[in-house]
Amino acid sequence: MQKTKTLFKLWLFCVMVCLLSGCWDREELEDKSYVIGLGLDHSKEKDKIKVTMLLANPEVGSMQGGGGSTEKPREIITFDANDFIAAKATANSVISRNISYELLRIFVVSEEFARDPMFPTTFDEVLKDKEIRLNSYIAVSKEKASQYFLKNKPRMETRPHKYFQFMVDHGIENGLIPDSNLFRYFNTIERGSDLFLAMYTTAKRQKNPEIKREDEYTAGELNATGELDDTQFIGSAVFKNGVMFDTLTGQETRTINILDDTTNIKDILVNMPDPFSDKKRQFAARIMKTENNKVKMNLKGITPKIFINIPLQIEIMSNPSMVDFSKEKNQQILKKSIADHIAKVNEDLLKKTQTKFKGIPYPLPLYSKKYFATIQEYKKFNWAKAYPRADIKVKVDITIVDYGNRTKKAKRLGG
Amino acid sequence: MKQQSGKLGIREFVSIAVLMVGSKATEDTPAILYSQAQNASWMIPFISAGIFFIPLYLLIKTMSVYDEKDLFSVIKIILGKYIGFLVCLIIFIMSSYAVSFDTRTYTNIIRAFYFTTTPTLIVYALLILICAYGAKKGLQHIGSVSYLIVFYGVLSLYIALLLGTQNANINSMFPIWGPGPLALVKEGSQKLTLFADFFLLTMLVPYLTSKKAFKRGTWLAYFYVTFQISIAILTYVCMFDEGLAGIAYPFHTVIRFISLGQYIPNVEIIFFIIWIMAAFIRFTAFLYINAMMFGHLFKIKDFEYLIPSLATLYLMIGMIPEAPINVSLVFKPLIVSTAGPFFAVISFVLWLVALLKGEFKHAKNKDII
Repeated sequence: MQKTKTLFKLWLFCVMVCLLSGCWDREELEDKSYVIGLGLDHSKEKDKIKVTMLLANPEVGSMQGGGGSTEKPREIITFDANDFIAAKATANSVISRNISYELLRIFVVSEEFARDPMFPTTFDEVLKDKEIRLNSYIAVSKEKASQYFLKNKPRMETRPHKYFQFMVDHGIENGLIPDSNLFRYFNTIERGSDLFLAMYTTAKRQKNPEIKREDEYTAGELNATGELDDTQFIGSAVFKNGVMFDTLTGQETRTINILDDTTNIKDILVNMPDPFSDKKRQFAARIMKTENNKVKMNLKGITPKIFINIPLQIEIMSNPSMVDFSKEKNQQILKKSIADHIAKVNEDLLKKTQTKFKGIPYPLPLYSKKYFATIQEYKKFNWAKAYPRADIKVKVDITIVDYGNRTKKAKRLGG
Repeated sequence: MKQQSGKLGIREFVSIAVLMVGSKATEDTPAILYSQAQNASWMIPFISAGIFFIPLYLLIKTMSVYDEKDLFSVIKIILGKYIGFLVCLIIFIMSSYAVSFDTRTYTNIIRAFYFTTTPTLIVYALLILICAYGAKKGLQHIGSVSYLIVFYGVLSLYIALLLGTQNANINSMFPIWGPGPLALVKEGSQKLTLFADFFLLTMLVPYLTSKKAFKRGTWLAYFYVTFQISIAILTYVCMFDEGLAGIAYPFHTVIRFISLGQYIPNVEIIFFIIWIMAAFIRFTAFLYINAMMFGHLFKIKDFEYLIPSLATLYLMIGMIPEAPINVSLVFKPLIVSTAGPFFAVISFVLWLVALLKGEFKHAKNKDII
């Protein structure tokens, strides 16, 4: 009796093991082809879109040490489709494996398509698909998305998923591109009170770009030469109600990223005008944002008043006019000059958004919610209408954590 | 050992209650609340708990007069044989209806997020099968398993919420009154069903070690669960802001969105496993209580043998709606809007009749003697 019982239990165990594999949702890694990037373009046919899929080869780079296969790290296919969900099936007539969006990292939309008023309705399908995650990014490319993927040939990070992940992550840390994931895109549309910024990218370098300050470029304008890939991620595309209508430079994007507490910028390196130099020299500094901004508002009356207080920590990295910072007076001059400079940059940009964009480039209305008791009152205030006439004051609190290595005045050479 | 005595201790009872009611934060309840109360929906659990506190307190007070008697026995004693039977039958039908469509909701979640191509019937049948097996094992097993799981369940919920707060903005919880204080109170009074399970849990009184354990356990679980559901909804509101309106199952959207740093980006499966175990316990306990009710109604002593057939019945009822959207828009609102108020009324009536009959005085006299 005991034996049969044990035997029965063992048999049950074996049956359970069979269940584990499942029948319908069984997935084999060998059988899968993962789409890392999805490009969306206008199609020549009306009511259709052009879908470009960037497929990664999971075999490449997964091998430890040498060996590995000689297969290419990626495949790209472009075709016309009604939408990008059913396109998965269509693509299977070209790609041998089962296509999956599970590891989709980035949507690249051509600027032309993003400016189309039809774009949001097409893009809304993202929410319907069960494989696409809301933390994938959306980027706008200057050229056609199909060409973008073809031209984008990274030299070092040949595996596309790593390339896009690193490119985007470091861009966001530097503040030069916005943290534009799908989650934020749809939230912004839902709120309807502010603008959405998407990262701006191109794989085509401009012919003769002019040389500007280190962060005033938009994608394609940075004149980098050498042995490199032409893809650039810098600046942002501005969306109103889900449709793109303008762009911002890298510097403007960075300013907004500092204003916006919901993005994770780390420390950023910038150049700032040197107050001690009469030749308009600049010094390098590292800006660190460790605390959240303090926003106060006075929304009674016709012109809403908004006071933004930005706490920043700054590390001085260079000292072109050889000033002795051990003197209290010099420290004060420097602090005031930095604070004024940053405040001015911010106010100028906000002025631009008020007059040119007529919209708020980051979720500022969120901070106003606590001044209202009910939703009805908040809706009645109507931020979209109130913002252009608002009076915005920016104040910057500077803490200089480091004045550089040299405390003693160095010998002045040359200029 | 507890197992030999065949009774539930306070910790097992609290675990069952927390898993049964607390898991409401992880299905479609937050979305339903949000659609009515917007950003103030986190207050609804508090308001509902405040309102439901009165009938539940009266019920427990009434029941404490009768030693070691479960809810149905008390109803029959107080309301008489025929009316008592009718009321018990209605409670049983309501609870059966609820368990059918709650299990279907869970099946929908599993199918929507994790097993997208598996037929609904298979997922559903497996869920019911496991619950039926668990319920057949008896209350002691359910109690000990839920005590084992409750920590992981609660911990994983909080970890998920904590990771979610990285993308949250506390300002989304304002304007503080949402659609207005009056609308909130109205909404809160309609959502009493949130805590209806506590009413059903009074069926377990005879299986607890002591009356005190039941009383203290109920209140402990009651206040904790209110807090848990509220915190969860608050986190969803702060994360999704107005986007929450379009999300049917916020918890699962959250666990798909969060990541453990750059190198472990897709972590939902860890949370899913713990969540599904908690779901099993929830429905196992539910199934057991329903079987107990049925046994009580029709005088079947070995009601544990009823569990497989009841489970099959629930499976068949749960399969009636064609699509997930029908479940949450047609079938579920019916029970959500009636069960809570009905249970509250019954508790109140029980207390009133007991008072008029002078049962409380009797009990007092008995104590003195």
